[in-house]
Amino acid sequence: MEGNIEVLKGAIALIGYGLAAVGPGVGIGIVVGNAITAMARQPEMAGTIRTTMFLGIAFTEALALIGFVLFFIA
Amino acid sequence: MDQLILASEECDVVNEVICAPADVKELFEFTDVIFSIGPLGFTRTIILFFLAAFVVVGLLYFGLRKRRMVPSKFGVVIESLLDFVKNGIAKDIIGPEGARYVPYLTAIFLFILVGNLFEVTPLINFPITSRMAIPAFLAIVTYVIFVFIGFGKNKFRYLADTVWPKHVPIGLRWLVGLIELVSIFLLRPFTLAVRLFANMVAGHLMLTLLLGSGVIFLSAFPEIGLKALVGIPWFALGLGIYLFEIVVSVLQAYIFTLLSAVYIQSSVHFEH
Repeated sequence: MEGNIEVLKGAIALIGYGLAAVGPGVGIGIVVGNAITAMARQPEMAGTIRTTMFLGIAFTEALALIGFVLFFIA
Repeated sequence: MDQLILASEECDVVNEVICAPADVKELFEFTDVIFSIGPLGFTRTIILFFLAAFVVVGLLYFGLRKRRMVPSKFGVVIESLLDFVKNGIAKDIIGPEGARYVPYLTAIFLFILVGNLFEVTPLINFPITSRMAIPAFLAIVTYVIFVFIGFGKNKFRYLADTVWPKHVPIGLRWLVGLIELVSIFLLRPFTLAVRLFANMVAGHLMLTLLLGSGVIFLSAFPEIGLKALVGIPWFALGLGIYLFEIVVSVLQAYIFTLLSAVYIQSSVHFEH
């Protein structure tokens, strides 16, 4: 009985992490897509845009990272 | 090498399709003291930690030993790395005041770069940043630096303006202030550490699973016959991810340094 509950906990944690990864996935897609559009329109600004893009990715990624940690804690 | 293949003993090659480690708790702990000096135990991680530090010092010493008009090829590489951190990160993000923080940013950039690249160095194959203690320590150093600068440059206004931002409509101030407070003082160091840790753990685990499974299945060919061929796609996929991990290692070192610079910048120019 104990073992079954442990397995179930692991499975629920996995599902939770999967759900936590959906939002940041969409968010990073939007950030990178818009950055590519901006770079295509103004190639001379590509350096600045790339830096800002990494920043945007980093902030969006935070939610996925919290999900990753909670997966290990659970 | 015996630690690289986590599950070599437990892996049941007859029934399993891929060899998974039995327990991931190991990722958070320092195990197997190799030798100890007094109360200090030296594990593999600690030895590699010192090796990374010596590699960084060695790179800088031998790269910049002779300042010539036309530097050697190795010197050019080191100088362009330093120039990248100085102009590409410090001056670009922080501005003219950035020159003060160039030594710190250079140190963490090179250390994390070397530590990450241990992941794809043959015979080492272990990124020291995949043990939580090391990214956590580096993130705490950045945290202490930007909080001290914030309080040093803006005095008590740093905290007061964070929880009660003047440029926000009055009805929303408490909410924005709460979000900012949690984000600056809790989430920033936490995500900084976990981002590096999670990326390196994921990469190390993937390489271990794929390359380890490939080796285990192929070496079990006499016992399990044709089923051993399942090791070939695992090994091929592992080699593909090996190349990808080189990119991830460099990118994560860059992102850690970039975000440290951004956090320092937000304390130096607090008004924005």
